[in-house]
Amino acid sequence: MQNKIQPNETLDCIGLSCPMPLLKTKKKIKKMKSGQILEILGSDPGSKNDLPAFAERAGHEYLGENEDDGFSRFFLKIK
Amino acid sequence: MKDVINLKVKWTCQKMKIFCEIIHNCYSKIFYENWPFWFAGVLIGIMSILTFTWERPWGVAGGLKNWGDSFFYMTGLYSQKPSSPFFTASSILTIGLLYGSFTSALMSKQFALRPSSIIETIKGILGGSTMGIGAAMAKGCNIGGFYSAISSMSLGGICMMIGLFFGANLGIRYLYWELDNIPSSPTKKIHNIKKKRKQFNFFQLQPFLGFIGLLLAFVSMWFYAQNAYTKIGGLLLFGILFGVILHRSRFCFVRFFRDPFMSGEANMVRAVSYSIIISLIGFAILKWTGLRGEMVFVTKTFWFGGLFGGAIFGFGMVIAGGCGSGSIWRAGEGHIKLILSTISFALTTSIVNKIIQSYPEIKKIMGVRVFLPEYITYGWSIFLIICIFCFCSLLFTWNERTEKFIIEM
Repeated sequence: MQNKIQPNETLDCIGLSCPMPLLKTKKKIKKMKSGQILEILGSDPGSKNDLPAFAERAGHEYLGENEDDGFSRFFLKIK
Repeated sequence: MKDVINLKVKWTCQKMKIFCEIIHNCYSKIFYENWPFWFAGVLIGIMSILTFTWERPWGVAGGLKNWGDSFFYMTGLYSQKPSSPFFTASSILTIGLLYGSFTSALMSKQFALRPSSIIETIKGILGGSTMGIGAAMAKGCNIGGFYSAISSMSLGGICMMIGLFFGANLGIRYLYWELDNIPSSPTKKIHNIKKKRKQFNFFQLQPFLGFIGLLLAFVSMWFYAQNAYTKIGGLLLFGILFGVILHRSRFCFVRFFRDPFMSGEANMVRAVSYSIIISLIGFAILKWTGLRGEMVFVTKTFWFGGLFGGAIFGFGMVIAGGCGSGSIWRAGEGHIKLILSTISFALTTSIVNKIIQSYPEIKKIMGVRVFLPEYITYGWSIFLIICIFCFCSLLFTWNERTEKFIIEM
């Protein structure tokens, strides 16, 4: 299912550790429109908890994650 | 007859399959799912009491100072030989923390050498150095100077707590400034490094390596006991347990000071509060009954060393992305930034400690020891500290909804 998601924007957070992936995500979302999909690339295992938790708190829809080679892809739909 | 045997074999195989499934689910729950913060907090509180009962309170920066001292002695900068890292209580706790988080990462298939961008690397080194300075002034990091110090009813620990809030606040403001003003380094290099590992699936092998690692640890403990160093062996075990607990729950003490101003979340505030209250009660019992010395971990940090050391440390830990314990468990997971942070922390704290020790005027400025029960009795000391943490929990839980304290990006 997740392979078919076409993101409007991609944010590269590979190599960043807590709290940078979350801060960059927040900043990126501010510039995006409602309904758009953001793809976040990250290598910090902490992001697997932080990003869904952030999405829930902020009201965005967490669409899921994909494992890639050495990093993960996270998908958020902006509220 | 044959049918009966066939049936029995089938039945046994089914039972074995169910048994294997249960073992697998158990392993999954421990090593693949994250432990909840409140649960880890309670475990840490209990472990803190057990460690103090065994020998001494939990600390991290003391071990790093010993490593820094050993390095500078080996390179000839220091003339005085420090105690051996493998036979010093402070050091073995930190070795255990690192080793425990490393084996935990292996058993969770989460170990990977994770390179960071140039800016992140610089932040790791500078953050670590800053923490080294703060820890020397406050005579401990988040654990020794805050967690164990407050459990020990040292007023210096409360000073550090106040300082940490200020420092973390400044750290967040810096990070926001950096997001707006410093472009992130390209990460194409990192992608290339990742591609090389495609051939061999290292991750599947990790749990077995982790298990071997744990066995080696038990063998070490046995060796220690055989050579009349049972206490050190025990501290190694406790350090390893701390490492596993912190890693599996991704417990981050920095978040106690950072989250209320950054994301608004208060679950770490609550978890650390429960934890420290449990630890406090245990420490009070040990001290009041005379089982342990009253002045243990009551350091000469009231008030300058505690307050300003805390502020400097607080800034450094937000920049580095981990405090003393946080840097080490993330180093165990393979984050290069935090490995460098730990190294610069160790080296800096060793030097700054030497400076403070060498100049009595500076040492004096850092402060005096204040053991709260000497002034307001054990009962009121415990009550006061519990009130402080209940207040923090309530205030920041209120902040979760109202978001009044969040610093705007």
